[in-house]
Amino acid sequence: MKKKVLTVDDSRTIRNMLLVTLNNAGFETIQAEDGVEGLEVLEGCNPDVIVTDINMPRLDGFGFIEGVRRNEKFRAVPILVLTTESDAEKKNRARQAGATGWIVKPFDPAKLIDAIERVTA
Amino acid sequence: MDMNEIKEIFFQECEEQLAELESGLLKLNDGDRDPETVNAVFRAVHSIKGGAGAFGLDDLVSFAHVFETTLDCVRSNKLEPTQDVLKVMLKSADVLADLVTASRDGGGVDESRSRSLVKELEALAHGELPSSSGHDAPKPAAKAAPAAKVELPKPSDDSGFQPIPFSFDGFGEDDEPAVEGSLYEVIFKPRRELYSKGNEAALLLRDLSRLGEMSINCDTDALPALDRMDPEASYFSWKISIRTTRSEDDIRAVFEFAEWDCDLEVKFAEEASSNEELPMVPVPFDLSILDDSSAGEEETASERGASEEAVAAALSAAETASNVSRAARVAEKKESAAASAAAQNNAAAAAAGAGQTIRVDLDRVDRLINLVGELVINQAMLSQSVVENDATGTSAVNMGLEELQQLTREIQDSVMAIRAQPVKPVFQRMSRIVREVADMVGKSIRLVTEGENTEVDKTVIDKIAEPLTHMIRNAVDHGIESPEKREAAGKDPEGTIKLTAKHRSGRILIELADDGAGINRERVRQKAIDNDIIAADANLSDDEIDNLIFMAGFSTADKISDISGRGVGMDVVKRSIQALGGRISISSRPGYGSTFTMSLPLTLAVLDGMVVTVAGQTLVVPLTAIVETLQPEASAIHSFGANQRLISIRNSFCPLVDVGRVLNYRTTQANPVEGVALLVESEGGGQRALMVDAIQGQRQVVIKSLEANYTHVPGIAAATILGDGRVALILDVDAVVAASRGQSMKPEMSLAATG
Amino acid sequence: MAAKKAGPASLKLAAVLDLNEASNLHGKLVSMRGSDLRIDASGVERVGVQCAQVLLAGVKAWEEDKKSLLVEKASDAFQKTMQLIGINNQNLVAKEI
Repeated sequence: MKKKVLTVDDSRTIRNMLLVTLNNAGFETIQAEDGVEGLEVLEGCNPDVIVTDINMPRLDGFGFIEGVRRNEKFRAVPILVLTTESDAEKKNRARQAGATGWIVKPFDPAKLIDAIERVTA
Repeated sequence: MDMNEIKEIFFQECEEQLAELESGLLKLNDGDRDPETVNAVFRAVHSIKGGAGAFGLDDLVSFAHVFETTLDCVRSNKLEPTQDVLKVMLKSADVLADLVTASRDGGGVDESRSRSLVKELEALAHGELPSSSGHDAPKPAAKAAPAAKVELPKPSDDSGFQPIPFSFDGFGEDDEPAVEGSLYEVIFKPRRELYSKGNEAALLLRDLSRLGEMSINCDTDALPALDRMDPEASYFSWKISIRTTRSEDDIRAVFEFAEWDCDLEVKFAEEASSNEELPMVPVPFDLSILDDSSAGEEETASERGASEEAVAAALSAAETASNVSRAARVAEKKESAAASAAAQNNAAAAAAGAGQTIRVDLDRVDRLINLVGELVINQAMLSQSVVENDATGTSAVNMGLEELQQLTREIQDSVMAIRAQPVKPVFQRMSRIVREVADMVGKSIRLVTEGENTEVDKTVIDKIAEPLTHMIRNAVDHGIESPEKREAAGKDPEGTIKLTAKHRSGRILIELADDGAGINRERVRQKAIDNDIIAADANLSDDEIDNLIFMAGFSTADKISDISGRGVGMDVVKRSIQALGGRISISSRPGYGSTFTMSLPLTLAVLDGMVVTVAGQTLVVPLTAIVETLQPEASAIHSFGANQRLISIRNSFCPLVDVGRVLNYRTTQANPVEGVALLVESEGGGQRALMVDAIQGQRQVVIKSLEANYTHVPGIAAATILGDGRVALILDVDAVVAASRGQSMKPEMSLAATG
Repeated sequence: MAAKKAGPASLKLAAVLDLNEASNLHGKLVSMRGSDLRIDASGVERVGVQCAQVLLAGVKAWEEDKKSLLVEKASDAFQKTMQLIGINNQNLVAKEI
């Protein structure tokens, strides 16, 4: 059975790269453009893992992660933070918000897939 | 979709981000301190950097990175975005745009410019004032070094995070016939948070087991009785022995995501034998059931080996980034406060957020517009033939036709709306031009824009960019005085150019006003006489003199400058505006500046017109120009001078324009009482009464360019096809008015000079 | 509270025994105390440690009650995960009925 990945990123470029990478790796991919949309589509798509950006309009990654963790149904879903921020401060905040792990951009496909495999059964 | 297509998307997105960046910076420049504005600016650069990184556009990445770092200082309130700071940032935005262009189209950028900006940006990030940046800008990280040069990552930075550790030591041992590897002892005690953040101890143990041969002991002593336990708490902990050829760092890397939410000990136990005291459970190699992606250890290992180089490279890049961003770390500590404020803002902005959009190939829209244009004509023809064949006018066919007309109309409006776009991008381009030209000529000029969201057809937008650019250059170069002259005249040494767009009676009006010295009428007049444009004794009003600058070959600059005098005069500007069905005029006050006013149609495709008859010809007068129509009475007509006539309307007099004569349809004056007067407002201001023989009706017509199909005809803006299939000419009201006024000039001249 | 004389109760485990299922499973076990219990683990696809904790606590509770608790028809995933995380309690890993 295909694993379902929800990606949340405001950059069209990154969205497309994620889409290609994930589809090639045999995942089913659902995409949202910011945190607000991410929370909206969450209910309908029931993802196995979520990959999210941090810097986004309307609702940023931190707020989005908190929103997922507050949701009874999806609080256990692994969330990977995809961001160019490599510094500890951002990661720390992402973790506090409830992130499971992170991938530093520019991601290479192998690393992305590897990280997803690590947090999913 | 392949990488090239994604790259294409990336560059499109860059365009949007650059526009966002510039408009945000300009807002900040105007004193906007909304955190969301700062955030949007930051995100724009951040996003460009992110995509550029993915495509290995190193120059773009390193410049964006330095820029982003400085913006982050602003975001965290560490750096006050003063005008000086914003000046550097606006220039940086320009360089960023250049780098994007260079990345897309090849070619280079002005390296000295970008280098010096990098220094200025870094100085700002270090808390230095912009003025001091010229001299000894800090040396460290002259720019973020290319990823390849960076050494292996340091084990950890000062805040305890370990960048995905990876060691080459493991490889060395692979070379040796190391059958067994080393033995490590791992103690792993997860906390409840590990689970609540979506990590799973079982998965971590799975990954660990893949590193080598593992024996495991689960400590269940902490597990309370069933009725006293918290099902979501963490009670189990593990003691693991693992024999692996990998390093200790590899073992720790398994717990990378979990290390903050568990107690972890990894000890090297070299020759410790098989730990008989502990009841260890050997874990089988075949875990495939838990992992549908890899068949087994060997494959996983080789897979990892293959991607290790890539990982190392990515790590280097990450380290580069963290080196540079270290400077900004203090700033980021303060960020949570700012970000939470921003989050609230985000929520507020969410409601106002842009709706959903799709991208459509322009060709498709154009094809649709053409078809709708044909539909409109067809519908008109159908209506007409029905009316001709059905005198009663009450049949179901007629009613259906009315509905059809309504629908056609709505379809047309909707289709036109697809092409309508705000003038914003064009205006934004202008601000860069102002900055650059002002820099070149040593002037200090501020561009103020207004009404950037005014929408107009995309073709119009595309076509006004060039004349507008020329006019802006002109205003900066000639319009605004040097700071010294301005100060001497008691003005603010910083000049202001104001660019405004607004809708006015179905057209878009673009105004370009400068607060410079205004037109030097003496000199313009002299020049016009010298160039045989006017007679030496010509009696011209101030307005007419000002408008002489639109004459072909006219240039008041004594020296042709690099900037605005490239042999392209205002006449070219005027012609390109006219080609769009637009008009341009200038008004000037000596000492206070000049204002150029352009009036353009909102669309180049349709027009609401009044169909009239003049000397047996059918003409269309744009409805937008008509204020009212009236039936003149003999008592209201007054003669004035040789062949001028006035009509009194209520309490004022208004010149009467005999359209038939102006267009040379007839040689004698028509009798106003037999015709109809159309009161029009011309762009130059003031009202005129256009005299036509009769009004046939109002209708929407599809504009067919006369220039494209025939040639330019003075006084005629375009043509159309009427419902009966006949071609009708669309009147250029202002040109006709102007022609009626400028009797002293040749028809061609008068049109060019004042239209 | 005396146990009723009845056949062993049975409980079929959910396919995904994750964080969300731990409380559910705990609640079910608590309510089923007092009688023999057969647990059907044939449909289990994924086991998280927290559910394993609940199951083990259940085994111990049943031992205390002197009742029998047996896992029947354990799926491969169930068995392998138990083995992986080092749970070798006979009641949980016994393959035979």
